[in-house]
Amino acid sequence: MPDPLVFMMGKFEARIPTDRQYFESHLWAQMNGDLLRVGFTSYAVRLLQDVYFLDWQIDPDSNVRHKQAIGEIESSKATSTLYAPADGRVVRFNEALLNDPSLINADNHERGWLYEFETSSTLLQPDEYIKVLDAGWERTQQVLKNQFNE
Amino acid sequence: MKSLKGDLVVLGWLYPRAIRWVLDRNGVKGKAGESRLNKIEDENQDEDDEQQSGIEKDSESVSQGIGALDVPNRLIFAIDLRDDPDPQTYVKEIERISNVMTVPLVQLSGIGFQSSSPSQNGQSETNGATNLNGTPHLNGFAHTNGSAINHESPSAVAPASEPKVIAGDGIRRRWYPVIDYSRCTNCMECIDFCLFGVYGVDLLDRILVEQEDNCKKGCPACSRVCPANAIVFPEHKTPGIAGAEGGPAEDFKIDLSKLFGAPSALEMAVLERDVELVADGRDAVGATVGIPKRQAGASTKPRDALDDLMDGLDALDV
Repeated sequence: MPDPLVFMMGKFEARIPTDRQYFESHLWAQMNGDLLRVGFTSYAVRLLQDVYFLDWQIDPDSNVRHKQAIGEIESSKATSTLYAPADGRVVRFNEALLNDPSLINADNHERGWLYEFETSSTLLQPDEYIKVLDAGWERTQQVLKNQFNE
Repeated sequence: MKSLKGDLVVLGWLYPRAIRWVLDRNGVKGKAGESRLNKIEDENQDEDDEQQSGIEKDSESVSQGIGALDVPNRLIFAIDLRDDPDPQTYVKEIERISNVMTVPLVQLSGIGFQSSSPSQNGQSETNGATNLNGTPHLNGFAHTNGSAINHESPSAVAPASEPKVIAGDGIRRRWYPVIDYSRCTNCMECIDFCLFGVYGVDLLDRILVEQEDNCKKGCPACSRVCPANAIVFPEHKTPGIAGAEGGPAEDFKIDLSKLFGAPSALEMAVLERDVELVADGRDAVGATVGIPKRQAGASTKPRDALDDLMDGLDALDV
């Protein structure tokens, strides 16, 4: 496998493997059989830190719209609603995570995948995702800082 | 609960606003009593001013809301049980409220009213009290399971006793909005936005939740488009939609939703509505129908002849 790209989050190296594609909402996607397997990027996992709760609000095999809320995640530091990254179909969820969502931290690029997805939307290439991260880093820091200050 | 006519303390696993307006929607009406629990810190509140603590908040009466209709002169204290796991907290608060509310009766004791009559269930006392210029008096507590108990023996709510469950597992949970009329401005954005016929208006053209069961389970879209944040879905996960009072102080965790692709409130509402439309076999309408408009720049344009005509028609009152 070729070397991953790296995005520096301060001193932390977020590794962006080049064997897959990306969504702007900090998810990777990789073909697995006929389906796109989707998971959190290292950037997302670094923001979340230790995940201890994951809940899906939709049933497997559901059509979803871009930005539709499909689940909730909570970690030691943060919470977030999870949104569909594009119009498409969420075919099934990674059942291993339902018992132990910490796999997201331990192995986000492989065993910690979230769900399998079908979509006809265009995805980002790794270098394009890096550009998204570059462009958004300042805003990300703002979101983090503003909320720390509240 | 409709049979309980006096002041009420209602405890539930919901935000106080949600409790109050669910009761209102179901015909259990009253003014908002102010509990010391579930409160966002208010520096203006004098801790020693016991008289004040039972009286409706000023902010509600001066707010822009249209207010609830036919509100009897009694107080409903809604208390959220999720704030503190210790039952004593609630027992103490109930005792405090009970003491505050019985103060006027102590003053009247010379003409035959006793504040302490443990053998009574309070009903007859209350009838007497309301005859006397409507003096507020606490006649009992309504548990969420509907049982009334005597205020003189708070130990009767002792945590040791098993709660009586009257709504068992077999009962379908309902999902529908309740309107907080202390905030609602009757702007009609909700009735324009919802395409499922949940909303209607009463004889006075006030907005109301008319067909609760038309509401789509899990969909809070109308709440997101409400400019006054007056639509409460008591069981929604988002505190602001479930009737929490304040801002984002609920949770000290960072909310990453914006970074993880969260849509704006309006984008979200449009999506949620489309999902339910499609589930009903109807066509998604996206942002083409019922998008909030009245609030934006409503007063920026000068009056014109059409405004005069419309006001003239309104004035005819036909």
